[in-house]
Amino acid sequence: MTDTLCRITALARLVLLDGLRRHALMGLIALSVATQTGTLLFFDFIPRDIGRASSDFILSMAWLSGFIFLFFHGVQVIALDEERKVIYSLLARPISRGEYVVGIFAGLASLLLLLNLILCGLGYGSLMLIKQMVKPVYFSQFHLDPYLLSWFGLFSMELMLLAVILLFSGLVRGSFPVLLISLSFYAICSGLPVVREAVAQQTAQNKEVSGLSPILQWMTAVFPDFDRLDFKNMIASATPIPDATLTLINFGLTLSYVAIFLWLACIVYQRRDLQ
Amino acid sequence: MIIFNNIRKTYPPEITSSPQVALNDVSFSLTNGQTLGLIGANGAGKSTCIKLLMDFIRPDSGTISLQGRSPKSPEIRKHIGYLPELANFPANLTALDMLRFAGATCGMQTAAIRTASEKWLRRLGLWEDRKRPLRNYSKGMQQRANFAIALLNDPELLILDEPMSGLDPIGRADILALIADLKAQGRTILFCSHILEDVDRLVDRVVVLHKGQKLFEGPPRSLAEQQHCPTLVEGYLDLVQQVTKND
Repeated sequence: MTDTLCRITALARLVLLDGLRRHALMGLIALSVATQTGTLLFFDFIPRDIGRASSDFILSMAWLSGFIFLFFHGVQVIALDEERKVIYSLLARPISRGEYVVGIFAGLASLLLLLNLILCGLGYGSLMLIKQMVKPVYFSQFHLDPYLLSWFGLFSMELMLLAVILLFSGLVRGSFPVLLISLSFYAICSGLPVVREAVAQQTAQNKEVSGLSPILQWMTAVFPDFDRLDFKNMIASATPIPDATLTLINFGLTLSYVAIFLWLACIVYQRRDLQ
Repeated sequence: MIIFNNIRKTYPPEITSSPQVALNDVSFSLTNGQTLGLIGANGAGKSTCIKLLMDFIRPDSGTISLQGRSPKSPEIRKHIGYLPELANFPANLTALDMLRFAGATCGMQTAAIRTASEKWLRRLGLWEDRKRPLRNYSKGMQQRANFAIALLNDPELLILDEPMSGLDPIGRADILALIADLKAQGRTILFCSHILEDVDRLVDRVVVLHKGQKLFEGPPRSLAEQQHCPTLVEGYLDLVQQVTKND
């Protein structure tokens, strides 16, 4: 067990170091920091509800940064590996394919965590500054718990997408197909709640949509609803945090998805030819 | 040490190509302390043999055994030093990063990794460049860095895929001397190469592969004698021509 952990840590460290020294990633961090501090200019254009709009902007920019990280750096590290045969140099060591999958995931997750911690701290500073600069009527309240919960939700969603990218990279060869399939997965996850809502409204109006609702419910099992981890509207408003049990269930479900996708990725990697 | 028994490997079809038989009922073995050369033209199946030994790909039928164990066991790779044909590293890492990773995965202590890294980096002339990103290395330097990584944990078995690939004459002579040195130390070495003169100089036995079939296995001298030729190179060419004519 300790040996397994050592090998996974060694690989994760390698991925982390490679990412930290990559100029494109440094550029991404610089851009993210610039957009976060840009909130200080952005809020000046908002006539009212400055607190809600600013926190929304900060979290959305952070999501965009994570998205760019996942689909450009993450996909390249995972999928291009096989084409560039870096995977041969790594798997020539006494490391199993399952450990390889977990090690790569852990390395990229550490990079993501680092990015989110920087942006979370900076975002908090920006919001506090804005709160001091505007009249209380425009930014009356700030709640730390939903703020931290929002970042945790954001990080959980990013972890889930990372696990999905790892799974698809095992199933398909080449970074571009992995990018396309992972983007499609994300698009379906984002669009499904809207479709479900529309169908539910039509059903309520007694229109003919029989059979579609259960299919959509089942699809939600494969394409999880990311909105459940979105708490940013509660940061600067009086809206209470959802029930603790429900929140825990949602996070538990997300982490279960991460574990299932990783487990499937391990199985795929263990069975396939690395050709 | 290595038993490669009746191996058949077919690469699956792709959109523009049909299934391709890479190896057809190939068998050979290698005992402790021996040096075996896999020779053959491009597409003969040499790299496929090496990928199978390293468990990067799996055979359709047949069995492979390394020190009595399956190549699927990651533990077995603690005793193997592998040199890929093309050096491929994550772009922003240094030779030291890769050596630390190689040592850690083999369960070596930090001090032992440091000592072994210095020994091999100095021996291979990379000590001064140890902190430079590997992407800035020349092809020959990358190949030498790969050698340092392969030799770090003092492996009993060396699997070298085209070790002289992309090296200039000085680099090639240096690597040849290193392989000869390792052979003299009693290491078991399996390598494939296009450069038959190098193979003739280093190996105890050769396996000649042609279009996925084994044509010959034995000492280089025996191949020359069998084909009534003075050298291994001529013997190999004669054997391949003979088979091509019969096809």
